[in-house]
Parts: sequence; C-alpha cells; structure tokens
Amino acid sequence: MTTYILQRLFIFFPMLLVISFLVYSGLELSPGDAVSHMISPELASTITAEQLDAMREAYGLNQSFITRYWIWLTSMVQGDMGYSMAGGVAISEIMAKTVPATLELSMVALFFSTILGCSLGVISALKRGSGTDNSLTVAGMAGVSIPEFFFGLVAILLFAIELKWLPVGGRLLPHYETLWDRIPNIVLPSLVLALMMTAGAMRYARSSMLDVLAREFITTARSKGMPEWRVNILHGFRVALTPVVVLIGFRLPLLIGGSTIIEQVYQWPGIGSMFIRSVRASDYPLVMTISLMYVFVVLTASLVIDVLTALIDPRVRLGKE
Amino acid sequence: MESKDNIALSVRDLKTFFYTNNRCNKAVNGVSFDVEKGKTLCIVGESGCGKSVTAATIMQLLPTLSRIEEGEIKFRKNDEIINIEKLEKNGKEMREIRGSDIAMIFQDPMTALNPVYTVGFQISENLKYHTNLNRKQIREKCISLLSDMGIPLPEKRVDEYPHSYSGGMRQRAMIAMAMACNPKILIADEPTTALDVTIQAQIFELMDKLKKENDTAIILITHDMGVVAELADNVAVMYMGNIVEAGTADDVLRRPTHPYTKALLESVPVLGRGKNQDINPIKGSTPDPYNRPIGCQFAPRCNWQTESCDIMPEISQINETHQVRCHKYEQFFEKYNEKRNSKIT
Ligand SMILES: Nc1ncnc2c1ncn2[C@@H]1O[C@H](COP(=O)(O)OP(=O)(O)OP(=O)(O)O)[C@@H](O)[C@H]1O
Ligand SMILES: [Mg+2]
Repeated sequence: MTTYILQRLFIFFPMLLVISFLVYSGLELSPGDAVSHMISPELASTITAEQLDAMREAYGLNQSFITRYWIWLTSMVQGDMGYSMAGGVAISEIMAKTVPATLELSMVALFFSTILGCSLGVISALKRGSGTDNSLTVAGMAGVSIPEFFFGLVAILLFAIELKWLPVGGRLLPHYETLWDRIPNIVLPSLVLALMMTAGAMRYARSSMLDVLAREFITTARSKGMPEWRVNILHGFRVALTPVVVLIGFRLPLLIGGSTIIEQVYQWPGIGSMFIRSVRASDYPLVMTISLMYVFVVLTASLVIDVLTALIDPRVRLGKE
Repeated sequence: MESKDNIALSVRDLKTFFYTNNRCNKAVNGVSFDVEKGKTLCIVGESGCGKSVTAATIMQLLPTLSRIEEGEIKFRKNDEIINIEKLEKNGKEMREIRGSDIAMIFQDPMTALNPVYTVGFQISENLKYHTNLNRKQIREKCISLLSDMGIPLPEKRVDEYPHSYSGGMRQRAMIAMAMACNPKILIADEPTTALDVTIQAQIFELMDKLKKENDTAIILITHDMGVVAELADNVAVMYMGNIVEAGTADDVLRRPTHPYTKALLESVPVLGRGKNQDINPIKGSTPDPYNRPIGCQFAPRCNWQTESCDIMPEISQINETHQVRCHKYEQFFEKYNEKRNSKIT
C-alpha cells in the first residue's frame, strides 16, 4: 500500500511541473502584456515608449521567457505568490480570502451530490423498469443537459425572490456569524452546484449497481438465506461503489468549473469569481496562480481517488488483478 | 413414496416458465423426482434443457421474469413437510431454509465469490444467519471447515480474499460455505465444469465423502457421463423441460429405455473404453424453446418417431425404480437388448 502511494506521488510532481510550464507558456502567447492593460485608454496617448519600457523593466517583463518562468516557479514553491497587478495586493492575501469560500461551496456540493446520487442510483437500479426508475432517469437526463446557471437563476427566482425562503446570494464571513446563520446562504449555490454532479453520480451508480446485481456472487449471497438488504447493500452496493467513486473523482474538475459559474450567479466570493475578474483585467500573476492552483487541486483529487479506490478494492490494494 | 422417511425432497409435476417479450418459455414443464437422504441424484441432459432452472426453482432463486407455474416441492425438515413453492420468494421462511437446510454450489467459483470480502467473512455469513454461535466460535468453525475441505494453512487462508485462491481452492471454499450449516440437501450445478480434470476428481471425492459423513442428499447437475457412472445413485435424464427417463444409475446407464438417453450415452466418450469407441453426436439440435414441438419433445430428432408421438407420452413404470416417458419404449427396449444379446453371443 505504501509503495503504491509512493508510486503515485512519483508521477504527481513531474506532472505538476509540466502543467505549470504549459500554463505559463499559454499565457505568454496571449496578446498584449500586463503593462498595456495597466494603462487607461486616456493616458495611453500621452505616455511615451520609454516610459512603457521603464515600466516593463520594473516588472521584470523584458527578461527571457525561461528566466521569468524559473523566477515565478521558485518563488511560488517558497510560498511567495507575488502581487496582484491590479491594486498591488499580495496574492496570498487574496487566496486566503477566496479559497476557503470555494472549498466550502464545493465540499458541501460534493457531499450532497455523492450521497444523493448514490442513493437515488441504487434505488433506481433496485426498482429497475418501475415508474420510480423511469422518472429518475428522465430527471437525471434533465440534470445533465440543462446548464447550471439556468438552474441557478430559476432557483433564485423561486426560492429567494418568490418564496423568500433563502437569500439571493453572497456569503457571510465565518468570524461574523455562527455556523447556523451561514447555512441559508450556502444552501442554494451548493444544491444547484450539486445537481449536475448528482445526475451523473446517479447514472453511474445505477448502471454500476445493475451490473453488479447480475453477477453470480449476488445469487450466492442470496442462496445463503440472507435478507435482501444485506444482499443488495453489503454485497451489491459495496462492489458497485468502486467505479462510482472513481467516476465521481474524474468529475471533480467539472465541479471546479461549475463552481466558477455558480459563484458568479450567487456572488459567492470564491476563487471562481476572482479568476474571472483577473482574466478580464489580464492580471497575469493572479491568473497564473489560480490556474496552477486548479491544476494542483485536480491532480491531488485524482491522487486521493486512486488511494481511495485502492482502499475499497482489495485487488488493487494488494497489487493483483 | 412421499410419506417415506428417507425422502429428503420430493418434486411433483413442477412447472417453471419464463416470460420474455410476451413470449413464454416453458423451461421446466412438469418435472417429478425424489431425492433420498444420503444419496446422489444426477440430472443430465443437453444444454438448455432446464437443469439449472430446476435447481434455481427448488431454492426459489429464479430471476424476476420467471415463476413457478404449477406443482409441488416438498421438503422434509425433520418430521415436518414444507411446501417450498408456497413460501414467499425472499420471505423469512424461505431464507431460513436457504443456506441452512438446502445449500447450493455454483458452476464457476471465479465469479460465485464476492471479490471484496475475505473467504472467511463469506463463510461466516452463513453461520451468522443460521446458528447461534458467537464471533469467536464462528471463526473457529470457518477455519475447521476450510481445513476439512483440504485447504492448507486454514488459519491464514481464512483472512485472504478470493483472488488469492486458485480455482480449485475457491470451489472448496464454496463447498465449505455450502456445508457450513450441515444442509440436508446440497445442490451442485456443474460444480467442476470450470476446473481442470485432476481437480474435478478431488472435488467429487470431497462431495462424496461429505455425503457419506453427513447423510446429505446431493442433487448433482452435470454433462459428464463418467461422473454420473462414478457418483450417481439415481439418474434423471432431462430433455426440453421434461424428465424423459429416470431410475437408478444401473437402470439408466445399463438399460437405457428412452431413445434420447441412448443417443446421449452414445454421444459422449466414456473414460476407459479406449480410443475405438463409436461416438455419434445426437442428430439435429434442440428446438427453439419458444416454439416447442407438440407432444414428445424429442420426436423430431428421434428414429422411432410415429404419429402417436404427437401426444405427450405418459410416464411408464418399467420396474419399481425405473421410469420412462416414451410411447415406443417396449419395442425400443426389446430391440436394444436383443442387439446387445446378439453381440454377446
Ligand atoms: N435468466 C434467464 N432468462 C431467460 N431465459 C432463461 C434464463 N435462464 C434460463 N432460461 C431459459 O430456460 C431454459 C432452460 O435453461 P437452463 O439454464 O435450465 O438450462 P441448463 O439445462 O442448465 O443448460 P446448461 O447445461 O447449458 O447449463 C432455456 O431455454 C433458457 O433459455
Ligand atoms: Mg445450467
């Protein structure tokens, strides 16, 4: 098991390095540099080329590509993320504010969608062909195909504006309020974000469960005279769970992408909102830091999923097929 | 017959039908047999003739698209007679019988064990549901069962997962699981088809030993006539949902009285009879199960077919043990035995 984790880590770091390089090169290729975005259109006509060059010099923008990449990478590793070009705030400070908000939102959504998706999928599989199964399938299809911002807006209209049950958006800061006060704010965005994941998880859970229920060891389990719940859950769902966990893991990046949109809709002060703002402002250091962080999260998620899968499935855990 | 104490299971006129796409497959269509305590009944027949469905019906482990249409399955539990077909499919009474009074082992030990639980855990489930043993006693029992089945280092093996067992060992573990609660009846559906020949012999030896030691009645489903000759006390030959001939192993193997039995016997090589034996595959193939012949099911493939075969023949009793379902059995029997006699002289 330990060797297995070490093996995974061994691939993890080179991968991170390669992707960070790609992110850096990608931004290099985009038109315009930071300086050209920092100057307001009115000033642009009055400023001289020398002044522009001086600014570039000051920001280190005229050094070679590799050098800049190296400087950026090493300071990043040391925890110095630099300063945002807009307003000159330390990026680490921005991160400290936005990351917890996004984590909170995605984790709550992940929790909802996994629990909901798995249980609905299992119910659907056990009641295969029934009315319940069919309506769940239709609902799942709708969940996958309707974009989440649409759900988000409809939910705001219905629950916040029409029924006034929940706030329209925003997030209360942890040190201001008790946990209880903060819950109403997260319910809508997390449920809407969870919805898309739920539909996927449900379909995976259903097909995986159907697959397993047709396997012979289910008949064996039944032939021992055990009650149906034990046959279905302990023998069926336990085996069906492995592929579902893996697939949910593969969809984690989707959750991050989804949260960018949902954060916009609900004015959730997370990293997604910040990312969109920084891209619009061509705030390079911030864009790169956030991109790299996304990469880090996706890679870590897949690492965690691999380890979880191994823990669940003894064939993987013991390195045999 | 039914009232006799030595009958563990008595099946009468059992019909199990499948319903798919609004069509009906009469997979088991009027089957009757008895299984005696401490005896082995072998059920033989070509693929698709309803052997597995018969077994699944006795355990009420039928898939959702099928149901017991008619008939009786009487199981003798001590002095009580239980009508299995009347019990609710996954109800409490049925579950009490499954795994404790009637146990089953399956064809492929590779797929019949759950890959994510240890072998010990899977055996212990049986004991947990049907005995009052505590955890420690259950564990000891699991180890002793594995060691009875001839698995080396049972204390260690009990905590291993099925994937670290070989095919033969998995089938032994399956048998350990089935035998955990000393069942009165053991149903084995082609238990060695997935194993190689040397291991086959060991598994059968083990089953035979268990039968003698525990007085277990065994229903053994097989394609292998060699196995039948070796192990069977009684034999039932099935064809398209019917038992066409039944009797003691001697009756059926030495004096086959149904054209199908004879064809079946001639279609397989018999171990020890040398290379020059005649092997005649049965001519034609089994009919479409959704579009069965009327009357005798074997008639279209039979050399003895006449108009009378359009009506399903009744069961005829040749002697106390030997039964056949054929209109022409008397002529057939005479001719066949004449030929044998003339061969000898
Ligand atoms: N799950 C199922 N769904 C639909 N039809 C089935 C199912 N299981 C069996 N049948 C049908 O029931 C009939 C009897 O099948 P059964 O499995 O009992 O044959 P068998 O004698 O065990 O054959 P084999 O020697 O190949 O195991 C066949 O016509 C088969 O198509
Ligand atoms: Mg079969």
